[in-house]
This record gives sequence, C-alpha cells and structure tokens, in this order.
Amino acid sequence: VSADHGHGHGHGSRFIQHHYDDAQHQFDSGKLGIWLFLAQEVLFFSALFVAYILYRYHHPEIYSYAHKYLDVKFGAINTAVLIFSSLTAAWAVRCAQLNQRKGLIFCLVVTIVCAFTFMGIKYVEYSHKIHEGILFGNKFDPCVSSGGAELLTKKNHCAGAKSTVKWDFGAKKATEGCFEVSALDHAPLDEGIQAKCTVHALKMAQRGTEWVEAGRTKIEHQCPDPVLTAGHHATPAAGHEAGGHGGGHKFPCWRPAVQPAVCPDLTPAAEAQAGGAAKPQAGIIVEYGDHEERGDDVRIKAECEAPPKIVAPADPYAETAQKLAVGQSSIKPREAMDPHTLKERESMGPPPEHTSMFFTIYFAMTGLHGIHVLFGIGVFIWLLIRAVKGHFTPDYFGPVDFAALYWHIVDLIWIFLFPLLYLIH
Amino acid sequence: MAAKQRIHGPYKEPNYLEVTKGLKSWMLTLDHKRIGMMYLFGILFSLIIGGAFALLLRTELWSTGETIVGQDTYNQFFTLHGAVMVFLVIIPGIPAALGNIILPIQLGAPDVAFPKLNLASFYLWTTGALCLVGAVPFGGLDTGWTLYTPYSLGGDVGTKTPVLIAVAGVFLLGFSSIFTGLNMLVTIHKFRPQGMSWFSMPLNVWAIYATAIMQVLATPVLGITVLLLAVEHIGHIGIFDPRLGGDPVLFQHFFWFYSHPAVYIMIIPAMGVISEILSTFSRKPIFGYRFIAYSSVSLALLSFLVWGHHMFVSGQSRLANMVFSALTFTVGIPAAIKVFNWVSTLYKGDIRLKVPMIYALSFLLLFLIGGLTGLFLGILSVDVHLHDTYFVVAHFHYVMMGSTLVAFLAALHHWWPKFTGRMFNEGLGKVCALGVFFGFNLTFLPQFVMGARGMPRRYWDYDPQYTIYHQLSTIGAFVLGISLFITVCYLMASFWTGKKATRNPWGSSSLEWQAPTPPTLYNFEKPPVLHEIYNYDDLVEVGENDWERIGENYDPDDHGDDHDHDAKPPDPEEPKIAVAKKIDPDAVPADQGPKAATAVEPPSAKVKLEEPAIADEAEAKVKATSDAIAKEVAARTELPSASDPDAQAVVGETLSETEAKAATKDEDKAKKDGES
Repeated sequence: VSADHGHGHGHGSRFIQHHYDDAQHQFDSGKLGIWLFLAQEVLFFSALFVAYILYRYHHPEIYSYAHKYLDVKFGAINTAVLIFSSLTAAWAVRCAQLNQRKGLIFCLVVTIVCAFTFMGIKYVEYSHKIHEGILFGNKFDPCVSSGGAELLTKKNHCAGAKSTVKWDFGAKKATEGCFEVSALDHAPLDEGIQAKCTVHALKMAQRGTEWVEAGRTKIEHQCPDPVLTAGHHATPAAGHEAGGHGGGHKFPCWRPAVQPAVCPDLTPAAEAQAGGAAKPQAGIIVEYGDHEERGDDVRIKAECEAPPKIVAPADPYAETAQKLAVGQSSIKPREAMDPHTLKERESMGPPPEHTSMFFTIYFAMTGLHGIHVLFGIGVFIWLLIRAVKGHFTPDYFGPVDFAALYWHIVDLIWIFLFPLLYLIH
Repeated sequence: MAAKQRIHGPYKEPNYLEVTKGLKSWMLTLDHKRIGMMYLFGILFSLIIGGAFALLLRTELWSTGETIVGQDTYNQFFTLHGAVMVFLVIIPGIPAALGNIILPIQLGAPDVAFPKLNLASFYLWTTGALCLVGAVPFGGLDTGWTLYTPYSLGGDVGTKTPVLIAVAGVFLLGFSSIFTGLNMLVTIHKFRPQGMSWFSMPLNVWAIYATAIMQVLATPVLGITVLLLAVEHIGHIGIFDPRLGGDPVLFQHFFWFYSHPAVYIMIIPAMGVISEILSTFSRKPIFGYRFIAYSSVSLALLSFLVWGHHMFVSGQSRLANMVFSALTFTVGIPAAIKVFNWVSTLYKGDIRLKVPMIYALSFLLLFLIGGLTGLFLGILSVDVHLHDTYFVVAHFHYVMMGSTLVAFLAALHHWWPKFTGRMFNEGLGKVCALGVFFGFNLTFLPQFVMGARGMPRRYWDYDPQYTIYHQLSTIGAFVLGISLFITVCYLMASFWTGKKATRNPWGSSSLEWQAPTPPTLYNFEKPPVLHEIYNYDDLVEVGENDWERIGENYDPDDHGDDHDHDAKPPDPEEPKIAVAKKIDPDAVPADQGPKAATAVEPPSAKVKLEEPAIADEAEAKVKATSDAIAKEVAARTELPSASDPDAQAVVGETLSETEAKAATKDEDKAKKDGES
C-alpha cells in the first residue's frame, strides 16, 4: 500500500480505487463496463452496416461495379495484420496475469507495430484513391477502367468516359447517356463493324445555352482490346501494360466497350424482332496517353457502318452458341467468353450513376474503423508506458484486459468489413 | 482527488457539501453527489432557457401574423426550445442528475462504479450544451430538433443556420448519456449490497436500469447518425443527399431508432420515481412490485421496435406501417400495468398530500392523457389526419413535459431535503404544484382540439378560427412558466432560509434515508441496515417532516456478528449492509418479545456523535423519539417496561446472539439468491 493512498485497505495493488471492495470487485466492474462499451460500439457501427445493406439491396450494380476499385491484396494483408495483433493483445493479457513484465512489454510493442502497419497500408490505399478521384459524393471523379480489373490513373490514359448515366429510380434502370457517343448505329463489338468505325474527338464550344461543335480531330488508332488480348487471367498490371505501354500502339486510341449493366437495352423490341437496324448495346471509348487528358469540352463521336445482313442481338451477352449456329452473320464470331470475362467487360464502361455511394460507405466504414484503430494505438501506448513502469500485477491487470477486448472488437469489425467491401462478386 | 480529501475516522465526517471548499474541489470532484448537483444546476438553467423559448413561441402565436418575431426567428425558437428541452433537460433530468445523486445511496454504495467516467460524462454534457446553445450567436438553428435531412444538409436546398455546431453538441450529449447509462448499469450490477436481490431493489433503481439499457444501446445510433450528418454537411458524401444518390428517409430511420427509445429514456425514470413517491406518501407497499419492475424493462425492449410509427407518412411501405402500428399498441400494455399498479397502491392508502405527492398525482392524470392520445396516433388512418398537427404536439408534451417534467419536479422535491439538507417552502410548493398542473392543462388541452381540427405544428401563422385555442394555450404557458420560475426560486432560497431537514422527512423506506442529511462523502457514516423494501410498518412519525424507524440506530457490530466481531469502528468506506429482520409482532411469541427490542436502542450518545452540530436539537428529538418508539413497541410486543432504559439494554444484549445468527443466515441466503 503506497503512501499516496494511505487509508490502509489491504488491497494488493495501489491502483485499487477506494470505493471498490477489493481487486476482484474492481476488475469485475471494469469488465462489465467494457462489455457494455463494446455493445455500444456494435450499435455505433450498426447504422453503417444497415446503410450498406440497404444500398446494396437497392443498387447491386453499384457494388459489383465498384468493388474492383479496392485492392484485395492490401485488404487481405491488413486482415492478417489485425488478426495477428489480436493474438498479441490477448497474449499481453496472459503475460500480465502471470506477472511476466518483459513478455507483456513485448506483446504490447508488437500490437502497436501491427496497428501502425495497418494504418500505413490504409494510408497507401487512401492516398491512391484520393489521387485518382475515387471518392465519395460529388468528389467522385474517376476515369473509367479500361482493363476491367484496375482503374487507370487519370494522368496515364483516362478513357475519357465519365459517367453520364441517368438512373430511373422508379424503373430501377438507367435511361440515357450510358455512353457519351450517341452516333453509333451498330454494335461495335463485332469485328466487322469495328473496322468500319470512324471516331472523332469533337471540340465543343458554348454558344448561348447550347454546345456546338467547334472543330474535330479524327482518332486514327485502335487500341487492342484489353480483355481479348490479355484474356481474363490478366492481372491488373498485365492489363495495364497491354493497354498502355506493352502494346506499342499510339494514343489517343479508341476501342469498343460494352455498356455497363445498368444501361438500358435501347433496341426497340419490335425492331430487334424484325431484324431491323438495332441500336447499339456498346459504344466507343477513347484512351489517352501518359500525359494527356481529355478536356471537359471534348466529346467523342463515333460512326460505324453496318455490315451487310447483320442482326444485332438484343442483348450482346446473349450471343449464344445457338445464335452462332444459325450462321446468319458474315462476320467472324467473337470468341466466346465465360461469365467472368463477360462481367469484366461489363464493368469496362463508365460507372453506373451514384457509384460514389459505394465509396461513401467505404470511406465512412473504413474511416470510422481507422479512427478506432488510432484510438487503440493511443491506448496501447498508454498501456506500454504503464507496463514499463511496472504497474500491472496479477492483482491488477484490468486495463490490459479491457484494452485487449476493445482491440478484439476493432479486429472483428474489420473482419466483417473486408469481405463486405473487398470481396464482393 | 476525492481519496485524498477524505477525513478519516467514523462519525466525524462532514457532509459532502462541506467536506472540501473551493471551485476546484467542485470542478474536479469525483463524488457522484457533487457531479449530480452540478448536473442539476445545469439542467435547471437549461430549463429556464428552454422555457424562455417556449414562452416566446407562445407569445408569437398570440395573434395571427407577426406578433413579436418574424418567421425565421420563430423557426429558431421552436427548434431551440425542442433541442434544449429534449437533449439538455428531460433526457439527463432524472437519470443523470437525480439518478447520480440518489442511485448509489439507494444501493448503499459509496459511489458509482466509475467516478472519473462520471465526471467525464458531466463535462461532455457541459460542452455539448454549450455547443447546442452556442449555435444561437452563430445564427441559431431552424431545422426542428429532429434535424431532418435534406433540410439540415444546408447547401442550396437546406438551412443557412449552423447545423454543424448544434450537431457536434448533440454528438457530445449523446456520449455523455451513453457513459452515464454505462455507469449506472455497472453500479446496479456490481454495487448492490449483500442481501439486496434484484427484486428487493427500489423501483427507481429498476427504472434507471431499464433507462440505462436504452442509453447504452440506442444512443450510439444517434451518435453515428449525427456524425454522418456532420460529414455529409462538410464533405457532401451523399449518404443522406438524394442528389448524390443518398436517402433522406434513412436519416429518419436512424434518428428515430434512437429518438424513440429516447422518449422512453425520458419517461421510464419518471415512472421509477413516481413508484417511490406514490408508495411513500400512501404509506403502503407498492402494489405489484414485480410487474412494475418487469414493465420497465419490457418498455425498454419494446422501445427499440416502434420507431417506424414516426414515419407513417414518410413513404414507408404499407407492410412496415402495419407492423409498426401493431407494435406500437403493445407499448400500451406495460404502460397500463404501471398505471393500474399505481392506482392500486393508492387504494386505501394513508395518502399524505405533500408537495412530491401532489406532483405524483398530477403525473398520474397527465400520463394517462398522454398515453391514451398516443394510441390515437398509433392508428394508421387516424395518424394520416393527425400527423404533424398540434394534436401530436399536445400528445408528446403530455408525455414529455406533463409526465416527465412533472415527475422530475416530484423527484426534486422528494429528494431535495436529502441532498441539500434543507426543507423548501411547502406552502409555496403546493401552490406552484397546482399552478404547474392547471397551467399545463390550459396550455395543452386546447392544442388537442386545434390539432384535431387541422392546425399544423411548427406554423408561424394560422387561420383566425384557431385564435381562441392559441390564446388559451398562451395563457396556460405563462401560468406554467411563472409556477416553474417560482419553484426554482424557492428551491434556491431554501439553501439560505430553509429549515434543516431531518434524516427521513417523508418516512420513506429505502436506504438513502438512512444516510445522514446531507450525506457524507461516502454517503453513510456507518453501514446502513437493509429493511424490507416498501414496508412502512416500522417507520414512525416523530415530528413534522421527521420519521424514524424503530431501531434506527441498530448497529450490526453490537451483535457479535461473527466475521466483524473484532472489527474496529465500522469502516465507512466499505459499508457492509446488515440485514435487519423484519419485525413481525404476530410471529413473535410473548416470551421472545425482546426480539423486537433489539431495535429499541436509541443510544443518545451515538446520535450526538453523528450530528455534533445539532446536538441539542438531537437530544430533544431523541427523547421524543424514544418515547414514541417505546410506545409503539410496547403496543406491539407487550414489552412490560419499555420505558426503562436499563431493562432495554439488558434485553437487547440477550437477544443479540440469536438475532445475529438469524441475520447471518438471511444474509447468506440472500447472497445466494443474488448470485443465482
């Protein structure tokens, strides 16, 4: 019993507060307290999980489109780091219980290092997103993906197709503007058509309230199709190279792309059945070189000629063996794609409207979680200082136990966040 | 540090108000009573601010068109009235202020479980309150206290007022409430004395327990909601902004997921204190103890399931509306259980119309009206007509103000003597209690009528047909306001002019009345004796506002209690609570009559030691007390010479052995009960 707590209580540790019966009473009270605090934490996060569920239920296309912006690799490393730090945190409790001061200090240090590692990786992820304009709300301003797996940086080759999709909430589908180009008469995915497309970059100028063309530049080159050239096994880096530096083609270049899933089937049903001129389900996007960027006043216009006697499918993905078997087309059929590749192609177009909502939820959830990690770092540093001073004894190790519990819930929340945000398919 | 401040030695401790002096000793105190007192003054101050806004509102509505202020100012008035009253007055009113002061003493505990957290909660509250009220110089707040999006998002569609400051305030106030609830839950779980099982706790403790569950589980949702609102406000993240794909109705869901339980955070503690007061002033055990206890907890659980009834016309699905409507009606069951039990408690009671009792009876009537009109609003078809009309305003004021604030006043008057050591002016108290009751009804009954006739809430102007109702309402508001103002004045005046209060002025049976008045730093100068809850048989009125228990000075150490036999003077830090055997004259055979006489031991010497300052008064009182007690005991036990002090002492001595054994046994049993 130390001098500054002089009313002889017979408590083992000097950190037993006067209003508790004994060390056990203090520990039990603290334990109940921290459990209630954790319950509070769960409820604190619950609103975000509810928001996640609601938006995912109403807009699944946003989630399946946007998840690829997140890097599974970083998420997985962070998961492992956090789980390991939970282990060391629990071990620290055991060391405190057994009065192993060195072990306690070691475990606390490892936990703190893990927490910093987690935050470091988060920093890399966040700064990447900030750099690329993959943010929330009206700050969401990315280039569209051209590889299907990775978002190309703006400064490299921004495909120039920002989202203009208009979303009809009542009908739950996009109504217009899936591609900026509107002059396509035929599905440009078919090779025969691709060959006959003329793509122009139109420089627009404002006259009064209207935008009018002030000049045009023809885009001569055609980019290699990243999916077809690299195949669906393409890693992001491989796709990047194929589309960017490895391909050896010149920028700007154009290539056909499929509309994202939310885009409407613009083919009037009657026309499709009658075999008339169908509206395209795909468009043209333009990729720019390393140091170029498409100006906001530049529109892409593409015109493609129809091959003779072609029936454009109402749904480009429904291009089945059966249809090919009919053999109506004079064009060489496209390589059949498995569903995964098809999905990848789908997400090559501009993002569906309000894709930013995914990032709102991503940043809200991971940000709040990150704040909790930061708070945990503070707590563990405080514990470390106390452990070095030798405050913790088998009689008094409550704070280590409570901090470890807190750390477990921070870990647990991440274990939910990782699959919900990174592993969507 | 409270630990360093305490003065050692039993029976010599000054009360908690005087134990240390100076501003710092209050600002950094860890004593639950001082923290509670600071809350109380903060809350009373907020009540005056909120009330002032209410009177300004009512004045503006005296006539159609502009009476005193313009439309924008009016919007700020009703917003700040609502926000201040909800977040600063009625939510913390009973749990944080009175709960803090009273709950640990009711448990016989020296403090709450986490005194530092308690102080932190208070400063969160203070900072939050300053933010909320601080929004006024920055342009006020005009979103309504509900902060509905998208209006609260600001920008080009929303308000121009500084939502952010107010929202920061609400966030801090929320966490203050969470930590208070957490503290109360742990205190109730871990600081119940040996022998006090869950079902021998005062109902006030049960009510605060139920409240704390909601504070801990519902408030975090408010926290995250206003946090998201703030982030939306700053960063336009789009979660509530429909232009960015967000859903403004989601805000309503989140908000009411908290704010409906919040309504119960307001009303359940009120029900707790009403249970205490009705029983005390009817001199009858509470009727249906377990039902009242369970109904508090079931109200707390149901409160999480009915938030959707605030949104019947917000575009919820028809199915959701029906489910929420049905669940809303189930709330009526526990509420009705309470009312029936209270009325049964009054039945054939020896009712004493003291000030707390007048408030408690007002509560019964007002809560009845408030509760039943709630059922009207739970009916889907009726709600479509009544939604956002003055009918709703009147309904929730009957519950929040007519019930909660009136119960807060009842509790304030009930415990005021205990924690200030002073009696208030009872005559004025009764007049004001009636003023509050009539003023309140005059204010809000006309609002039911005009609401049913279609007067929408929150409107600055109105059709001339409603003039008469608005004017009646305004008159009532001023009667109410003046009554409340006088109440605050005479309560404050009691510090200087009030008579010194006795240990147990109302003859209540729970543990706090065994503590000195005002309590010492660690509440009890000696371990309190646990008696059967709500049993008033042993309490005798020995003077005006002065009750004593037969054997008030029952001392467990005199019994040769096994484990404490060798103990030095009882350590006030660890009050071990002795279990007093209930005195049951019928069960005591004549030859064992002295059993009751153990309790009859009014050692005047001890009384002197306890309250040296008022030794003379005490001596006189002790004489009166011992006479009264002796009479009572003689009547009950046919003790031959109860007035002979020597005989008493001898008898007391012989009895102590058997009594102590019985007590130990009971204690063990109770302990087992508690554990199981």
